[in-house]
Amino acid sequence: MAALSCRFLLRRGTRLISPRAATESPVQLVGCVRTVKTTTFFEEHLTEDNQEYMRKSMAEEYKRQTAEKLNPLKDEPWQRHEWTEGSRRVGLVAVKLGMAPMWTKAGEMRGVTMLQVQDCHVLKCMSKEEYDGRTAALVVGGKNVSPFYRSEGQMEMFRNAGVPPKQKLTHFRVTDNAIIKPGTPLYAAHFRPGQYVDITAKSIGKGFQGVMKRWGFKGQPASHGQTKTHRRPGASGPGGDPGKVFKGKKMPGQMGNSYVTAFGLKIWRINTKLNVLYVNGSVPGHRNCVLKIRDTILPTRRSTLLNPPFPTYFTEEDGDLAEDLYDDDVFIHTEPSLTLT
Amino acid sequence: MAACSKRLDKFIVSLRLLRNLQLQNERFLSTSVCRLAPDNDSKPPKFVPPSKPVIVDKTQAVKSQRKFLSPEFIPPRQRTDPLKFSMERRDMVRRRKVLDIPEFYVGSILAVSMADPNATGKINRFAGICIQRGGSGLGATFVLRNIINNQGVEICYEMYSPRIQKIEVLKCEKRLDDNLMYLRDALPEYSTVDPEMKPVPLSSTEEVPVNKLKVRMRPKPWSKRWERPKFNIQGIRFDLCLTPAQMEHAQKWAEPWREYDMLKEYDTSELEKQIFAEVQQEMKK
Repeated sequence: MAALSCRFLLRRGTRLISPRAATESPVQLVGCVRTVKTTTFFEEHLTEDNQEYMRKSMAEEYKRQTAEKLNPLKDEPWQRHEWTEGSRRVGLVAVKLGMAPMWTKAGEMRGVTMLQVQDCHVLKCMSKEEYDGRTAALVVGGKNVSPFYRSEGQMEMFRNAGVPPKQKLTHFRVTDNAIIKPGTPLYAAHFRPGQYVDITAKSIGKGFQGVMKRWGFKGQPASHGQTKTHRRPGASGPGGDPGKVFKGKKMPGQMGNSYVTAFGLKIWRINTKLNVLYVNGSVPGHRNCVLKIRDTILPTRRSTLLNPPFPTYFTEEDGDLAEDLYDDDVFIHTEPSLTLT
Repeated sequence: MAACSKRLDKFIVSLRLLRNLQLQNERFLSTSVCRLAPDNDSKPPKFVPPSKPVIVDKTQAVKSQRKFLSPEFIPPRQRTDPLKFSMERRDMVRRRKVLDIPEFYVGSILAVSMADPNATGKINRFAGICIQRGGSGLGATFVLRNIINNQGVEICYEMYSPRIQKIEVLKCEKRLDDNLMYLRDALPEYSTVDPEMKPVPLSSTEEVPVNKLKVRMRPKPWSKRWERPKFNIQGIRFDLCLTPAQMEHAQKWAEPWREYDMLKEYDTSELEKQIFAEVQQEMKK
């Protein structure tokens, strides 16, 4: 973005100075209209040495900031409350790694999605009045990124929390007893195997699609006298009585690239060392996308949440967990082969 | 005493004879008594238990000396975090420590025992020729084919499924192709395997032999047009079932530029070395 806009300005400048030169080569100007965002981690106009220096110093700085947050003696921690029925905890921001198979103790194969919790921190705590007047909320960020392309407002929030800049920021509505101090790191052990979660992510974009692909309409026959009518929607509603097309009529349009929530996915396994969650089935979004995980809101599945780490899992207090936590039904690969009865 | 020593002499001679005798099998009688014989005149012989015969069971699979990495360890070429593959690999090694998954190739003859609640004895054993290997990581599969009661049977096994009890390699060999799906359209004799077959031993250092068998096909139509260049099949006697004109016609679908597509290049040799070392180290732990 920066590079292109710069060039654009320069060319505009030359045009103003020497209009004759510009009229001789008008083709050059056409390219400037495109807006391409640079996807580099660092500003491209830095020299090699500067980039190297920035890389080194930033890595150190990030590490220092993260390590500082692990030390609870730095300043007074906030008061903790007990878990009560109906409390809503904070969620996590995770990165989708991909899918893998898993076997149950009954010998059945299940597809699971692996989600990694990378550098997930609480950034800001908003009280009821600050947020929407109904519940308190926590802003949580995940996945460290370059500080170059964050806005000043966001950078201020990161500075206040004392954490590196994050790629993804989300709000989680929480009850008043579940608020956490900004800067607290969140881990995969926040959830426990056997509980159910909801996962929100931006689905893979499919572009502008017709009704057959977007809504699963049947379309019309390929032959037998059909003229220009094979994949069209057909009628869009009744005739004279309503005299209108009802709102929400399924029609062609943009498919995908919208936020989708998958509800009630079971957590089968958690790797506490690498912070990887193994979640049942598929999850919206492409590989390496950043997504949001929270305790499920499904009334039938909420009862699985019995005495979770509240308000979250703290490494220094809750003690060391085993490297892999499994649900009871999961076959563990170190066990002998199954004999079915 | 003299009589006793005479008898002893006779015994020693017979023992020496036995020692010189070239025995056909590996088991031979222990003759360690001979060494003690000369000073036996004064003292009564001390009982020395015969050395235990070493029995080499040639039917048992020997730990292979060949450098072999199962193909499912190599991650596909895609933009996935390498961490995901390393985590999968760790699980695969854990499973391999419990279940011995031997070295085998497409074209090898295998027998798989699998837990099955509906089978008699709760274990189902199926022997057949491996016609395809698929999948990568924990989801790796292989397909076995056999003809049972004149009916072709194919079973696709998940390699890391906990239901698998045992994988035996009855005959380890390669074929001319990496995928033998064309055996479905070949004469049944090429996919018939005796389920009671004895394992064919293969020495642990020897190269895996390539069986250059070319199969005869049933008349067309086939499940796929195997003569098309995209399958690139070497193991079919096309001269028996297709005319030269037909073979020429199939070249219409050739895509000779594909091999020069540099975007499709995926050199795994470095990766393979790295993963092989990693897996070896993990297996030793």
